Amino acid sequence: MKALRFAASLALVAAIVAVYRLLPVNNTTVALTLLLAILGISAWWGLAEATLASVLAVLGFNFYFLPPVGKFTIQDPQNLVAFLVFLVTAVTASQLSARARRRAAEAEARRLESERLYALVRSLELTGNPRKTIREFLNRVVQEFGCRGAAFFYRQADEIFRTGPESQPVTDHDLKVAAEIEHAAGEATGDRVASPVRLGMRSLGSLGLVAPLPSAHTVRAIADLAAITIEKARAMEEASHAEAARQSELLKSALLDSLAHDIKTPLTSIKAAVTNLLGEAGVADRELLTIINEEADRLNQLAAEVVAMARIEAGKLHLEKREVPVEQIVTGALAEVQGLRKGRPIAIHAAADLPAAEADPELAQQVVKQFLENALKYTPEDTPITVSAERKGGKIVIGVADRGAGIEEHERAMIFDRFYRGREHRFETEGTGMGLAIAKGIVEAHGERIWVESERRQGSVFYFTLAAAAGGKEN
Amino acid sequence: MSAGKVLVVDDDPQIRRVMKATLVGHSYEVLEARTGEEALEMATREAPNLVLLDMNMPGMGGLETCRALRAASDVAVIVLTVRNSEKDKVAALDAGADDYVTKPFGIEELLARIRAALRRSPTGPEGGPRGFESAGLEIDFEGRRVRAQGREVRLTPKEFELLRCLVAHAGRPVTHRELLQAVWGPDYGDEPEYLRVFINQLRKKIEANPAKPKIILTEPWVGYRLAEPAG
Repeated sequence: MKALRFAASLALVAAIVAVYRLLPVNNTTVALTLLLAILGISAWWGLAEATLASVLAVLGFNFYFLPPVGKFTIQDPQNLVAFLVFLVTAVTASQLSARARRRAAEAEARRLESERLYALVRSLELTGNPRKTIREFLNRVVQEFGCRGAAFFYRQADEIFRTGPESQPVTDHDLKVAAEIEHAAGEATGDRVASPVRLGMRSLGSLGLVAPLPSAHTVRAIADLAAITIEKARAMEEASHAEAARQSELLKSALLDSLAHDIKTPLTSIKAAVTNLLGEAGVADRELLTIINEEADRLNQLAAEVVAMARIEAGKLHLEKREVPVEQIVTGALAEVQGLRKGRPIAIHAAADLPAAEADPELAQQVVKQFLENALKYTPEDTPITVSAERKGGKIVIGVADRGAGIEEHERAMIFDRFYRGREHRFETEGTGMGLAIAKGIVEAHGERIWVESERRQGSVFYFTLAAAAGGKEN
Repeated sequence: MSAGKVLVVDDDPQIRRVMKATLVGHSYEVLEARTGEEALEMATREAPNLVLLDMNMPGMGGLETCRALRAASDVAVIVLTVRNSEKDKVAALDAGADDYVTKPFGIEELLARIRAALRRSPTGPEGGPRGFESAGLEIDFEGRRVRAQGREVRLTPKEFELLRCLVAHAGRPVTHRELLQAVWGPDYGDEPEYLRVFINQLRKKIEANPAKPKIILTEPWVGYRLAEPAG
């Protein structure tokens, strides 16, 4: 190709010389025509071709047109001037045109890279999976830009992804170093480049490419695109996780509700039937029917407590806080333990000017009921039980005191744990062992405190606090 | 002779079976319905004396059925609910139920509630006042008419009895238990939430400002008191 162009250049100069030898023209015309030819050669083909053409043109001009015609005369300064003019023209024109050509080639390359970037953007599919997104991204980069290899260091997971046929990829070390670079662009070393991938101030990792490399500018654009794409995938992943968690919580809540309902429905039939039979049973049957009745009650309580416990543990305890008179909480609880109380006296010590509490009335009542149940179950029937309520600062402290055996010091913290039973009551079957754990869950959901004070052989007092309502009114 | 016609409304067939067996055994006549819609139809056709209504039913729920029954007649309604939550109880009483029983229940408790609900318009204290006048409140016990804050108000039978009991002891606190037993019957006494619901309803109807009652006053830890008529 090159040789052909040299030959063509020489032929063109030779042709001009030959034509003007036959035509009656003056030397100036010949010189200008030759100059035009050299200008053309240098602009279209390049400096080397133009230089060769210049030499031939000077020789031809000198030999055939400058007097003495038919002879090379170097001493004539005219010759030197002509040669210099041809040469300068050739060099200048070829450089100018070479620059223009280079510019055009660059513009074309840039246009191509922009097109590829655009194709890359368009080809990326949104997924909620950063890993999948990175792999997809690398494949697309290799596909669109024709790099022999691409690699990505995913900093968050400390994981490196690679693609492309290159057997000598960008090294792990280079990638990890690039991830730490704080300025925008990475540097190309030889035929590969490792560029940091950053989103604002945050480094997501780095991108490595193996030649043919796009321009530094484009590499940066690809890195930025990678940052945005991965961040988007991560945001989508997080959103879908949050949604999944929410769905599962909803399902759990619905399951718990339907479980409570589904256990109570058959228990209702059993209890109604057995209590009906109890009413007309003889002595022998009465004992057995009583067992069925009591166990139905136990199952019912167990179901209620399992559901309550599950709600507390799932953090699904729903508080409906409002201003409620302490009196309502205590009398409500007393009414609930009426059956268990069997006429046992319970004293109430409450300040007359007690403010209302800010609490979920039903749940607060359940705590008092639990305290009362424990006192009624675990202390001798002839010992007194006292309910107290008093104001301490912004809090209302409600306590249930008994004169039972007391609780050993090491057991005091444990009795609020699930399934814990006092040592002496371990083998009694009554109750589920969840009552105080539920009470604790309720009190803690209110952001309040629950505790027990006890002395061996003197008795125990179970306390919990409630916030005093801001208005502080009685009813 | 039948002790009364009871309509059992529950979507669970086993519960209907056991109710039927029990109630028939106690000489009630028993009708059954599986849904709220069926219950309304049957209540219109058969005119039962009492409806045992499950709160949690598919389709038209218990509360809605209760309101519809109430709108159509004065039939006694006892709501059966599995959720032992005060909100549900208050909702049932608000919807016009006479009473509610939490599932599972002992049959004696249910029978007592049925008897109490059927004992319609319990007799008030004998020789009680025939009329009463106080701050913006006028009651004609014989005509069962009440005017409050200058306008005629309609009270349900339970509200009226509650008011009668308070008036009979005007100026003195009446304990929760006394009130419950006077209005609902001797099997009652440990249901303070009944009183809260009915006293609230009553206050809404007769007090100028129900949030700051001037007629029916709360006696903390004890019960309620009707303010003594001035002069």
